[in-house]
Amino acid sequence: MSSGSLLLHYLRPQAPRVGLLALLVLSSIAMQLINPQIIRYYLDTAQSGGAERSLLLAAALFIAFALAQQVLSVAALYISQEVSWSATNRLRADLALYCLRLDLSFHKRHTPGELIERIDGDVTGLANFFSEFAIRILGNVLIVIGILFFLFRENTILGLGLAAYCLATLIALAVFQRLAVPRWAAARQASANQYGFLEERISVSEEFRAIGVEAYMIYRLLRLMRIYLEKYRLAFLMGTLTTNLTNLFYVIGYTIGLSLGIILYLRGQVTIGTAYLIVFYVGMLAGPLQSIREQAQDFQQAAASASRIQELLQTQPAVQDLRVLPTNNRSASDFFPSEGPSSVEFQGVSFRYENGENTLYDVSFHLKPGRVLGILGRTGSGKSTLARLLFRLYDPNSGVICLDGQDIRLSLISDLRQREGMVTQDVQLFHASLRNNLTFFNRRISDDQLLQAFNELRLSDWLGRMPHGLDTPLAAEGQGFSAGELQLLAFTRIFLKNPGLVILDEASSRLDLVTEALLEQAIQRLFLNRTGVIIAHKLQTVQRADDILILEKGRVVEFGPRLSLAIDPSTHFYKLLQTGLEEALS
Amino acid sequence: MTTIPTNPSELHNHSIKTWVFNWHIIRYQPYSYTIHSIFTILGFCLQVVPGLIVKSIFDSASGQAASALSLWALITLYGLVELVRLGLSLGSEWYGWTFRLVVGGLLRRNLFASILRRSAHTPLPVSSGEAINRFRTDVGEVADFPLWLPDQVGKILAALVAVVIMARINLSITMIIFLPLFTIVIITRLTWGRILYYSRLSGQTTDAVTGFLGEMLGAVQAVKIADAEKEVVAHFLALSEQRRLAQLHFSFFRGLLDAVNSSAVTFGIGVMLLLAGKGISDGTFTVGDFALFVSYLWFTTQVPSELGTFMGDYKIQEVSIERLLEMVRPEPSHRLLERHPVYQHGPIHLPPIPTRNNENHLERLEVRSLTYTHPEFFRSTTDHPSSTPGASQARDDSNFPVGITDISFIVPRGEFVVITGRVGSGKSTLLRVLIGLLPNSGGEILWNGEVVRDPASFFRPPRCAYTSQVPRLFSDPLRENILMGLPEDQIDLPGALYQAVLWQDVEQLDRGLDTMVGPKGVRLSGGQIQRVAAARMFVRAAELLVFDDISSALDIETENTFWDRLIGARSNINLDKTATFQSPTVIAVSHRLAALRRADRIIVMKNGRIEAEGQLGDLLQTSQEMQRLWKGEIDRSNNHRS
Repeated sequence: MSSGSLLLHYLRPQAPRVGLLALLVLSSIAMQLINPQIIRYYLDTAQSGGAERSLLLAAALFIAFALAQQVLSVAALYISQEVSWSATNRLRADLALYCLRLDLSFHKRHTPGELIERIDGDVTGLANFFSEFAIRILGNVLIVIGILFFLFRENTILGLGLAAYCLATLIALAVFQRLAVPRWAAARQASANQYGFLEERISVSEEFRAIGVEAYMIYRLLRLMRIYLEKYRLAFLMGTLTTNLTNLFYVIGYTIGLSLGIILYLRGQVTIGTAYLIVFYVGMLAGPLQSIREQAQDFQQAAASASRIQELLQTQPAVQDLRVLPTNNRSASDFFPSEGPSSVEFQGVSFRYENGENTLYDVSFHLKPGRVLGILGRTGSGKSTLARLLFRLYDPNSGVICLDGQDIRLSLISDLRQREGMVTQDVQLFHASLRNNLTFFNRRISDDQLLQAFNELRLSDWLGRMPHGLDTPLAAEGQGFSAGELQLLAFTRIFLKNPGLVILDEASSRLDLVTEALLEQAIQRLFLNRTGVIIAHKLQTVQRADDILILEKGRVVEFGPRLSLAIDPSTHFYKLLQTGLEEALS
Repeated sequence: MTTIPTNPSELHNHSIKTWVFNWHIIRYQPYSYTIHSIFTILGFCLQVVPGLIVKSIFDSASGQAASALSLWALITLYGLVELVRLGLSLGSEWYGWTFRLVVGGLLRRNLFASILRRSAHTPLPVSSGEAINRFRTDVGEVADFPLWLPDQVGKILAALVAVVIMARINLSITMIIFLPLFTIVIITRLTWGRILYYSRLSGQTTDAVTGFLGEMLGAVQAVKIADAEKEVVAHFLALSEQRRLAQLHFSFFRGLLDAVNSSAVTFGIGVMLLLAGKGISDGTFTVGDFALFVSYLWFTTQVPSELGTFMGDYKIQEVSIERLLEMVRPEPSHRLLERHPVYQHGPIHLPPIPTRNNENHLERLEVRSLTYTHPEFFRSTTDHPSSTPGASQARDDSNFPVGITDISFIVPRGEFVVITGRVGSGKSTLLRVLIGLLPNSGGEILWNGEVVRDPASFFRPPRCAYTSQVPRLFSDPLRENILMGLPEDQIDLPGALYQAVLWQDVEQLDRGLDTMVGPKGVRLSGGQIQRVAAARMFVRAAELLVFDDISSALDIETENTFWDRLIGARSNINLDKTATFQSPTVIAVSHRLAALRRADRIIVMKNGRIEAEGQLGDLLQTSQEMQRLWKGEIDRSNNHRS
């Protein structure tokens, strides 16, 4: 999709309003062009001692047109804003959805801040441009053309001279602008560096004090500020020069208009009213010319924004639904059972990230329905990777992963993820109500279902303590909640989803005893009649596992029932227990 | 070092009048401000001249009045005056921007310095995103405001002169043109209220949109796993629509105001047309007068509404100043205005590096009856925001300072002391109060027998270095994250990396120590981050090392190596002549077996008090709390056997 068709796609539903907008802008321009003509008529009539009635009529007409023109311009502004915000909000939502569906590797490369800049910053750039495009570029071009037309009507040389003047002004401004744009880019970069530096550091003053580097941090800020100051002053100077250049051209144009008007008048070719009309029109030229230049600059920025959006839309997720199936023809139940514990099977699965970290080699194991698997291994051994593959956050380079005996690559991603649930150590909260945080904004989940989930997890008392129940607003930073409470919330999310497979990623480190007891209960409820996977790098977290899988540098070094591994002195698991034991008894 | 008032009512006494504030910042940059003012005022006053020239041109051309100068001289004069005005405006802009940027720089520097002095006892009252917003917009607003003054003075002067000239040409027309302007002033004031309201509303709705977008992208894995992409985006769209409405209202009122203002000109011209007809016919009101009136109308009619805007801006600046002071409190407001160089020119020098000498040599650290009570309002305020915008993870409960009472202990040189206890027993608070990150509310600390008056400025390298529970990395190369300003050739970086068990990790990184880490770089694991923080401490070669749960994310093997090397460094004093790790004294908070087993002495905390103190073997026999903690740790390791 090109930038133009992208724009058209989102503007099409707004067609009637766009039409109305065009009408308003055109009428407003016509009035602006006619009013000086009224003044000329007035001056000439007055000078030649014309009837007072016609003078008053002209004056009244002038005022009426002037007021009407203001009303039209406010209306046009309002409609253009309405059009552009409605259109770009749709674009924002579509882009956001597109981004969310892109691979995790994409999100690893692009920080949320960067994507906010794409989804909101660039789109707002487009919005500003298009909301003003109609009024300013089109309007101003038409005004300039209209003025030149009227000037030609008065005198051909006059028209030619001023047309040349307009052209020269635009060229000179464009040249200047080309000089200014890189200065502005440099200034913005300096600003981003300065605020980026501050943003990362203003919440960690304790750490700086504890190692005595405050003075050094101020030193670094001063260095960034120096660059900021130099770049900005230069950019502003260029901006001022450009403005001054515009003013200079205005002066030149006005002088030309004044001289020509007077010459023509002295030669008796035009009346004094016409001479004034010429001066008035030439005065009117400056504003639109300046606007056109500014808009040209906005146009470049909008074009850059549009091309960045295009680029984003060209990124294809590596993980996709493999088959294009008529979705209404099948549901999750066709592929996966809708209830009961799942089975999990890895057959010779190998995977490596783009950056080559945490690779998995030839991982195979089979987990029967209803059993709980404990995965052990050091940081970087590939435990979390294994879980991510199960959710198709990535696809393996080779090998097959089956859920409920079905190759997960053949299922719809959405079906697969409905069948699985995961609790991670970092529980993500949104700046929204407790309800929305639990349902993930899914309005189809009723409050009754929510309350039932709380009940099942023995959390009703906890809910009772929330000041506004399910409507209690949560802060994004989860303030006021302990780590354990946040995990309990995550469990409720899973309960609502009712999957056949639950994955717990290092769920119970660093908790106090009360919360740990609550969590114990909740885990028990959660694993009831479900298949479970517990990922941990501490021995104590796998106490409830039926089977044990030990990963080392991406390879399975051991897999089997926990009880039999624990009593066999030749196993790694046995040795791990011994280390723990020695640790405990020393 | 200022004392920190703990009583909330004291916190709000430090305010400053807006005009006093402006006077201070003007005095910081008197030259650029004065030059800017002179150029600006002159430039505006010269606005009056072109109108007079145009009048003369028309009058002499139409033969209605003789002019002293020829037509062409007048036209040349017109061009010259305009050129002078351009020159003046260029100069005024240059000095204006210098003023803005230098004053803004000073305010930002002082704000940052104040934040660096801030303790967790009085956390920043706003989130870090909001704080940055204040660094950006409020500082900008405040530094910009004084420049409006010469602007207004110039415009009013020019308008007064213009009105006098117009009145002398035709008093009645002048009066009828200008009297209705007072209604415009009123309309402007009324509309400004709406504009401000909707501008705030669209700011809030925009924050909601971008905030949620950030949360949603930060939580992308969670959203994918929950298969909730569509639902989340639907919520995002709903928030966006709220923003659309706010924006629409805002633009509407803004456009209305613009329309009202430009109506003043056209209305003025209209009045003139209505009244001047007879004058033009009988020659008492010339075409030149007409041209002069039109040219003056453009700038005189704008003055009332600009004056209204100026008053509005005064209010806005008042709010901005308040928002900046809020970030400085409980420090007094003059700290925001302290004079420091912002280095417009000349070299900026690195701050001096602290060196170790006999004066800061530690023989014995003693703590007597140390007490800390946290202020009531603490829990309701923001703590450290997470490193990713929006989406965030659970905060450990122990980040809220728990109170501690009557803590006394002695640490002789070279000892490895472990402080342990349950979650919320006050371990972390004790460390932070000890080294002055939190102000103590009672008791004293003695360094080699001498009372430490101000722990905050005393416990820092080369005497002491500390690592928090959840250390942070910054978007810089790994090397810079460790060195933070220390010259690499004067310290033992490889030694520190070895000591922190970080060598292997560094070697595995693509670009080694030059790898960009932090939020915008390679994401290191929790354990790696803790070890980078340890290395950051080690390069500072402090006498006393204070660790808050440094090993919580390390696997057992790495943790064992870490403590062994630290203890090894202590026992190898005589072997290691490079002096980086000369006999450090270590105080560490930990509940892990690896640390407890190696401790020379253990302090057991419970409910903010010392429950027991001694060697592990003795404590296991005498202290119930120690037995409980020990059993808990053992159970964690042994549960698998059941």
